[in-house]
Amino acid sequence: MARWGMVIDLDRCTGCAACEVACKSENNVAAVSVEQADMGRASSWMKVMAHVEGEFPDTTMHFYPRPCMHCDNPPCIRVCPVQATYIDDEGIVGQIYARCIGCRYCANACPYMVKYFNWYGPEWSEAERQHLNPDVSVRPAGVIEKCTFCHHRLQKAREDARAEGRELREEDYQPACVDVCPTNAIIFGDLDNPSHAVHTLKDDPRVLRLMEDLGTQPKVYYLRPRD
Amino acid sequence: MGGTAADRGGFVRVRWVSGSFGVILVAGIVITVLVTARPSVPQPVAFNHRKHTEELGLNCEFCHVHVTKGAHAGLPDAQTCTMCHQAAQGTSAEATRVTTLLAEGDPLTFKKLFRLEPHVFYTHRRHVGIAELECENCHGAIAQTVRPPARPLVTIDMDFCMDCHREQGQTLDCNACHR
Repeated sequence: MARWGMVIDLDRCTGCAACEVACKSENNVAAVSVEQADMGRASSWMKVMAHVEGEFPDTTMHFYPRPCMHCDNPPCIRVCPVQATYIDDEGIVGQIYARCIGCRYCANACPYMVKYFNWYGPEWSEAERQHLNPDVSVRPAGVIEKCTFCHHRLQKAREDARAEGRELREEDYQPACVDVCPTNAIIFGDLDNPSHAVHTLKDDPRVLRLMEDLGTQPKVYYLRPRD
Repeated sequence: MGGTAADRGGFVRVRWVSGSFGVILVAGIVITVLVTARPSVPQPVAFNHRKHTEELGLNCEFCHVHVTKGAHAGLPDAQTCTMCHQAAQGTSAEATRVTTLLAEGDPLTFKKLFRLEPHVFYTHRRHVGIAELECENCHGAIAQTVRPPARPLVTIDMDFCMDCHREQGQTLDCNACHR
């Protein structure tokens, strides 16, 4: 059984936010008005966080792309009263919109703040509606949504592999953010499969995980910038 | 004598209350029937499945061309019908009507009979193309019908899917069908 995870090399990330755009496009993430965004109601399953170190003028900035950490010990699933969020056998933390009652306990329990509540139903122009991804739900108002590691791509890749009578290959299943990253800063694969790049990279001496001390065991690893 | 004014007031009140209750009851029944009744699915022609499958020996994929490769099985278009119905086939009035409609350029837009909820992500490819399930597993005796059914022959709900998945030892993961 695979255990999907991600490694993000902070030395390679230029903060271009292509991953953010690709994610929104792939997953039908709706835009909200400027006023709503100012109230913290914008959804961004992948968000590039800027981190500034040092005192002006001797400052350095690093960018931390932040998807859902798909924790092995996710705090969000413990508080969900209806099991709308859960961790599957392959380590992907799922969110079942049809089951979600919108209580927002999970969004508050998540220390990474990567769960987003739909305060309103999405509004799409006719042109945008033509470009919605048919493989992903359009979420209604009143439910929580989050990064899914593009697991619809996993299902498609698995179908392709089965139809061709072969095993799933590393390159078959890559989330949208990984596909578009121009500097290959994001690497994705099966953490338990020695032939996948992430298997080795997760043990790199530069590795850090966000808020590791909380015991959430996130499956998104960052490679610290070299000095 | 008709009793006191207070008695009459009580009688009117009772009649009014029971009358209102009756109206509400009838309205409730009508609303329930309207809400729960499934709309029938009108088709452009009275397609005879049995004629095409049993008597002519066509397989399902002949008309439902995407059934092994697509998410949707696909419905036949006028071009598919024209292959045989360019000239009138048989003696039935409906066969003659099909030929006339095709000659007039009618697109013969067939409507989907079996529909899933929008939060269910099902693919025919996975079930028919890869797992090689038979069509009647989910669609019942649709191939033996002689006229278009107004409603699905089988109610495909989550229990229906889960029962089969349990029997076949297939995934019960929520993510497998809901995204």
